[in-house]
Amino acid sequence: MTTPTPVQIFRSEERRERYITGSFFLKIGLLALFILVPFLFPSFKSVDLAMKVILFATLVASFDILLGYTGILSFGHGMFFGIGAYSVAFLMGKYGSPSYVNLLFGVLIAAVIASFIALFISFLSLRVKAIFFAMITLAIAELAIVLATKLTGLTGGEDGISISMPGVFSVSFTLGKFAGVEITGRTVTYYLILLSCSALFLTMLRFTHSPLGRVLQAIRDNEARAEALGYKTFIFQSIAITFGCVMAAITGGLYAMWVGYVNPESSLGVMTIMLDVLLMVIIGGMGTLYGGIIGAGFVKVTQTFLPDLQDLAMTLFPQAEFMHHIFERWLLLFGILFILVVIFFPKGVMGSIRDYMARRSR
Amino acid sequence: MEMNNDKAAMALKPAGHWERRLPLAIGMGLFLLPLLGIPVKTYLTLTIAGLAMGMLLFLVASGVSIIFGLMDVINFAHGALFTWGAYVGFSIFRLLNKWVDAESVLQNVGAFTIAVVAAMVVVAFLGVVLERVIVRRVYGSHLFQILITFGSTIVLVELIRVLWGPNDEVMPVPLRFQGNWDVMDVIVLRYPIVCILMGLAVYALIQLVLKRTKLGTIVRAGVEDLDMVQAMGHNIFLLLTGVFAVGAALAALGGLAMAMFTLQVYPDMGSTYLLFAFIVVIIGGLGSVTGSLVGALIVGLAYNYVAYLIPWAAAGVNILIMIVILLIRPTGLFPVGK
Repeated sequence: MTTPTPVQIFRSEERRERYITGSFFLKIGLLALFILVPFLFPSFKSVDLAMKVILFATLVASFDILLGYTGILSFGHGMFFGIGAYSVAFLMGKYGSPSYVNLLFGVLIAAVIASFIALFISFLSLRVKAIFFAMITLAIAELAIVLATKLTGLTGGEDGISISMPGVFSVSFTLGKFAGVEITGRTVTYYLILLSCSALFLTMLRFTHSPLGRVLQAIRDNEARAEALGYKTFIFQSIAITFGCVMAAITGGLYAMWVGYVNPESSLGVMTIMLDVLLMVIIGGMGTLYGGIIGAGFVKVTQTFLPDLQDLAMTLFPQAEFMHHIFERWLLLFGILFILVVIFFPKGVMGSIRDYMARRSR
Repeated sequence: MEMNNDKAAMALKPAGHWERRLPLAIGMGLFLLPLLGIPVKTYLTLTIAGLAMGMLLFLVASGVSIIFGLMDVINFAHGALFTWGAYVGFSIFRLLNKWVDAESVLQNVGAFTIAVVAAMVVVAFLGVVLERVIVRRVYGSHLFQILITFGSTIVLVELIRVLWGPNDEVMPVPLRFQGNWDVMDVIVLRYPIVCILMGLAVYALIQLVLKRTKLGTIVRAGVEDLDMVQAMGHNIFLLLTGVFAVGAALAALGGLAMAMFTLQVYPDMGSTYLLFAFIVVIIGGLGSVTGSLVGALIVGLAYNYVAYLIPWAAAGVNILIMIVILLIRPTGLFPVGK
């Protein structure tokens, strides 16, 4: 038998330790927590929060494939998310009816459209410089918002589209009580989305750990060297972009299922969705995938409880007008946090933890 | 090397070679095309408005372009600096409201000049802070530059909301800058003419500094090879900060002038015009000042014609032009250096 290559040794090591490390149990525990949320915290607010954390963690992971694993910054990720949301909304609401088939087709069509657009944009921009991608996606994302807002007849304009869910996913559906909690269509939807997002997440993990994913990381770290090794960087980057964008579109479709409406600001917005996603990926850590869960958890929890925090601050310091102003402009705090994290913790929470663990085990 | 030889061969051809004139002629012809759908008088009015808008976009885009050319930094915070310029000018006009509303041309121009100087100085200072404190830490990494300047945009725009409030405001305009002239039955607004002249003056000034002064020579050399300039003993860090400040000041001028053009200021105005600026520099070629001017005029004119003919398509036409240019000529109309 031939001696194993360093990569093979590394992989067999990884495979042996896969199911016994602490982080594996942490992941299982996290999944269990999300599964139990509707029973532990049955209030609408907490289930909604948990669902949004899951959805955004998936979206951030798909963004991370571009940013962290390929080294390409896209401002159009929110647009692909919106394509998914609008596609489902079109088929379920405006141009169709709520049915299981339409739901499935909505997501599939979104994936197809997203892959075509992603391929087109990457063909357009990567030929020149990778930074063109950021500028061009920003321009095209803004165009998408303008079109979604202005073409009122087609997209419902600023009001957006409301959708209702079919059969077991509809709000009126009920399965009776289980463990003291009423199982409604909403609970079923929660589990469907949790299942889908877990599947998407695992797919992305598989993607990044595949040989293809390793090539992408090589390109990210040193494009010239990867090219010299014979990899056609353009093709690999295009594949990664398309894959990430399709994942984002599917997540968008799931998002539309959960919130029940789409409009340009909440589903397409550069300053809303993109900003959140960027914050999440930076805080969680680029190139880690799991970091997205931490980032999404942090940002979404902060956003949800910020009004409470503001009230608390108001009662504690009723005369501090300045505090009130600052809390009203919480985005300012997020912006400062964003810059600080980029400067001082460019690896984010997850990356820093991994660095620390690696240093300790050595 | 082959590329260089090709370029040299191109340059050796006589300047009047028809092949080189053809794209220009086609381009010019395209801008006469809207005449089919627009009455001549409206066409002239639109052309003036388009040229004015183009000149204002040039002010923003040239900053983006020069900063990229020299520092290899894509400044996503340029839009926020643009907005800051508009708001500083807005405050000055509020302070000097007597001069703004006065009948005297001199006082009007005085108010305008003070506003321009104040906006440029304040925003240049912001630019210096931005470059020194934030951007300098991430030289060399495009990814982090974009991230960090995007973060700066959030902070700068939110600061505007804290300082000036989150609402749209009506931009005061000095009295004599308003109104119009009636030239042979064609309505010529005064302010767009001012914008066009201002843009041309700034272009001439930039070209003069770049081509005729020692500083300009250093900057142009820096665009080609920054390390070599440093090796020759020039303080490139001072140079970079200076260029960033100049770019910021140009953005401020553009912001102020654009706010007077559209008669409003609002905290998010920067993001819209930053996009225009990006489209302009992609069309014109990153790093080229002349490219910025040509790109800006193309974008300004096309936007105005299409906004008149098919209002909802106005936002798309520029992106369409950008895509076409990228397909034909990926490095833009006037590619530069590197």
